[in-house]
Amino acid sequence: MNRHRIVSFQLVRRVLSGCFFLPMILLLGGCTLDTRMSTFVTKGPVAETQYDLFMITVWVTLFIFIAVGGAYLFVVLKFREKPGDDRPLPTQSHGNPFVELGLIGVSILLLVIIAVPTVQGIWYTHITPDTESARLGNWYNGTALSEGEEDEVLTIRVLGYQWWWEFEYPQLGVTTANEMVIPAGKPVHLELRSVDVIHSFWLPRIAGKVDLIPGRANSMWIQAGDDFDQWQAKHNPVGSEMELQQSYQDYLEDEIHNYYYGQCAEYCGDSHARMLFRAHVVGDDEFADWIDSQKQGHNAPDGKSWEDWYAAYDSDPDSLTGDINEGLKLFIGRGQCSGCHAIDGNPRTIAGVAGPSLTNVGERHSIAAGWLNHRNEDGSINDDLQYANFVKWIKETDVVKPGNLMWRTRLGNGLGQMKDPLTDDEIHKLSVFLQTLK
Amino acid sequence: MSSTITETQTQHTDKDSLLKPERSQLGLLRPDHSKNVFVSWLTTVDHKKIGIMYGALALLFLLVGGLEALVIRTQLAFPENDLISAQRYNQLFTMHGTTMIFLAVMPLNAAFFNFLVPLQIGARDVAFPRINSFSLWAFVAGALVINFGWLLEALEMMGLFSASGPTAGMNDFVPAMGWFGYAPITGMEFTGSGTDFWIMGLQILGIASLTASMNFVVTIINMRAPGMKMMRMPVFTWMTLVVSLLIIFAFPAITVALGQLMFDRLFGTSFFSTAGGGQPILWQHLFWIFGHPEVYILVLPAMGIVSEVLPAFSKKPLFGYAIVVFSGAVIGFLGFAVWSHHMFTTGLGKVATAAFSLLTMAIAVPTGVKIFNWIGTLWGGRVRFAPPMIFALGFVWMFMMGGFSGIMHSSAPADAQQQDSYFVIAHFHYVAIGGIFLAVVSGIYFWLPKIIGKMWKGNLSTYVAILSTVGLNVTFFPMHFLGLLGMPRRTHTYLAGFGWETYNLVCTIGAYILAFGIFLLVVDIIRCFRNGEPAGDDPWDARTLEWATTSPPQVYNFARTPIIHARDAHWENKYGPENLRMEYQADDGHGIHMPSNSWMPLIASLGFVPLGLGLSLMQAGVPFMGYTAIFGLIVIGSAIALWAIEGPGGYHLHPQ
Repeated sequence: MNRHRIVSFQLVRRVLSGCFFLPMILLLGGCTLDTRMSTFVTKGPVAETQYDLFMITVWVTLFIFIAVGGAYLFVVLKFREKPGDDRPLPTQSHGNPFVELGLIGVSILLLVIIAVPTVQGIWYTHITPDTESARLGNWYNGTALSEGEEDEVLTIRVLGYQWWWEFEYPQLGVTTANEMVIPAGKPVHLELRSVDVIHSFWLPRIAGKVDLIPGRANSMWIQAGDDFDQWQAKHNPVGSEMELQQSYQDYLEDEIHNYYYGQCAEYCGDSHARMLFRAHVVGDDEFADWIDSQKQGHNAPDGKSWEDWYAAYDSDPDSLTGDINEGLKLFIGRGQCSGCHAIDGNPRTIAGVAGPSLTNVGERHSIAAGWLNHRNEDGSINDDLQYANFVKWIKETDVVKPGNLMWRTRLGNGLGQMKDPLTDDEIHKLSVFLQTLK
Repeated sequence: MSSTITETQTQHTDKDSLLKPERSQLGLLRPDHSKNVFVSWLTTVDHKKIGIMYGALALLFLLVGGLEALVIRTQLAFPENDLISAQRYNQLFTMHGTTMIFLAVMPLNAAFFNFLVPLQIGARDVAFPRINSFSLWAFVAGALVINFGWLLEALEMMGLFSASGPTAGMNDFVPAMGWFGYAPITGMEFTGSGTDFWIMGLQILGIASLTASMNFVVTIINMRAPGMKMMRMPVFTWMTLVVSLLIIFAFPAITVALGQLMFDRLFGTSFFSTAGGGQPILWQHLFWIFGHPEVYILVLPAMGIVSEVLPAFSKKPLFGYAIVVFSGAVIGFLGFAVWSHHMFTTGLGKVATAAFSLLTMAIAVPTGVKIFNWIGTLWGGRVRFAPPMIFALGFVWMFMMGGFSGIMHSSAPADAQQQDSYFVIAHFHYVAIGGIFLAVVSGIYFWLPKIIGKMWKGNLSTYVAILSTVGLNVTFFPMHFLGLLGMPRRTHTYLAGFGWETYNLVCTIGAYILAFGIFLLVVDIIRCFRNGEPAGDDPWDARTLEWATTSPPQVYNFARTPIIHARDAHWENKYGPENLRMEYQADDGHGIHMPSNSWMPLIASLGFVPLGLGLSLMQAGVPFMGYTAIFGLIVIGSAIALWAIEGPGGYHLHPQ
């Protein structure tokens, strides 16, 4: 009956083969898996554990896909009704308990293959390693630590704001924003908190995500690259202790030292898409240098001491001329920047807490929580682009990041408190000043 | 059922056209037998008409949700695209999810429940026909409230409305916090009155779902035809029963959570706000202990549909009926034990994470069992590629794909990379479109000839199947890769240079292919309505009881109640041995007792509109909204009181 409604087998086959070949086409079409936030090409033991587990699930499901999908295709094709089919009515069979139980048993076995490493993986990714070599006292060669801290793993407090990140290094007394710096090959313990809504810390090549939830102290650990023991176990290198150490350092420098991309992964309001962050993974010495430079903070312009600069500022501000001086005057004066932003070293900005710390902001490769970038291919900073980004961010902060606090409370004309917005010339001076913060 | 009242009120006549409306106990004329088409549909208590209305409205919302998805995909076609603003994008993805789940799929399932369950069990109607009408109109009221923000948004753009209340300045009148509204972004500091519309709308939809579910449980337990034992019921009816029980146990959780959230926003409590000592994480637990069973509430009816279609077009009974039914129940039960797998990244701790990881793997077993049994059903059958069958076959394949990515999610450490990325989007759209949507379309092709008595014309269905399956795969397969390449979900735009551009463009193209397929489906349905030839009672040579009555079924379903002697009663009646054939109850001269139509369920449900809007708009500073809410409550209360007082009414029909 209804011969014209019986679908031609050709069409069905075409659809099915389409489903099958699509991934191939995409992969062959130049879509590489080695991208900035890829979870396929991992750079650390946490992400690697997660990737290995993922691949176990892929192989198990691929096996089921071939077995069950194959059986399914076979059945559909073999028992399909062909034109002029005059088979009698099929036997009205109702099932077979032994077949059912057998298949249930096989399913459970296949799941056990996933379950065992899953539980191991959960324990591994949840417990921050506390090996001898991971302790701060054994590798950190910057300024002295207090007694108990030498035995601790490096800890970073990650604080989520709408829509930027604060990274505080409590053991080292340093706070930065949006671009964290971590040492290669060392486990880092992260304490995750949020001040407003839920965010999620995701640095795909180094570790999967953990949420930052208000009213809750979450934690995770990350590690960029293998530590010496892991590396040794993986590569079985031969040579003297010195040679091994050297080739381990080469491995870190060649494969691990890099600029990594991360992003907020939990919807957190208007500008969720623009809440990005970066991680510079560096060697031990560079890390110590960076900490020292953060701690030291910035000097006043023109080689003055801060006392002299502020004495001049308080008595005769017009004596401080040039774009940089003018920019700093705007920063602590009419621009009201210092109400929220700290610049370490400068004695009148240290109170700022509501906005990202701008200490060494000129060294960062992006601003506006990773949205405006000025990093060259070779890892240096494109100064022109950096200037343009500062101008753009100050001038169009609502366009770059809709709904953000800086627009709502300072620069905006709707709810904003600034009756007389910054002029283009003032924005230019502020940008020039901010570029000098390095 | 009591017949003492009706005996005195109705005249026995042989033709229903001669029936006149009688007075209710309030002294008002009942709206029965109205010549006005609108009155007869608005006041109907007939499960078939209610089912049709559910279906029509759900298809409308399916198109609305689909349109929202198309705008989303167009925005994401290129990096740093600025077709729509961040805020609009956030509204669109929130409303896309909410619309598809609560206003499209759930009512589509309700449409099938309503139309089919009484027919499949040989009943005259559901147990509580007027509550059934109330459920439908409460759903409409909830849908209105939840979508009301679009109207305000339009008015605001024309400069005719602005908010002045506590959330002034947050001009998101449309919900924009994601369909699972994680606290504290639902708090007063972060979102405007859109969140209030969402809370009130969902609360009303919850009432609609709860009343409907209780109705179905009572109907299925009590109103089966003689001989229709539980283990003889069609699988679709079984799944209706399981889903109804799931709704009854799952919805109270979200009802409580929404109530607390409403109190947080309206009356300044702090269940979910840390400032007052509340815990935002509590919301996630409450939401997902509803939300995960909700997933099965959406998908089990789809499995029921496929379990009816596959046997019909293989000319074989369902393989392992008992195990299919049992695994459906196990899925429902385990569905309450896996909610925290939505929360693997919230820091549950090692033991809880491991427990929920293993339980999630366990739920794959009964799901797999169903797939094995569907293959077993096809084995040795005569598999005919009729329109319902191609969609059902597509369902099995695509649902299996969605299941595989589900297994990948169950491994908690792997999920840490997948959670909240496009991988999740791919996973649940394979289940939602490849699973639920294809099954529902299969159900539409299967049962529409029964519902309207007209047969499909031509083979447009083939193109619908091809376009929607290809569109689905082109849209969602690349999203697995997008997610694993680090693209988070719910981002209104993205930077170039992360390797996401090609995938996103392909996804967008796929979305348009899928949309074209759905457009053709609508065309095909309209063609069937306009040009379809009479279908006959049993156009597919099917198996279950609904095919034993006329197409479309008479208002009383079965002229005489069937007596059932077998599972697949209609099939056994056609081809089975003598002792399994159906019998019919003898006519006792009493006629068929029909319920009276009523305005009261409609009026009571419409009271939810001022109640919901009133409570929502208080935040926006609209005057007199508190009074509007009280007015709504009075309408609901008095209509329910009048409903009780007007009496059941009813009349008798005497079919030949």
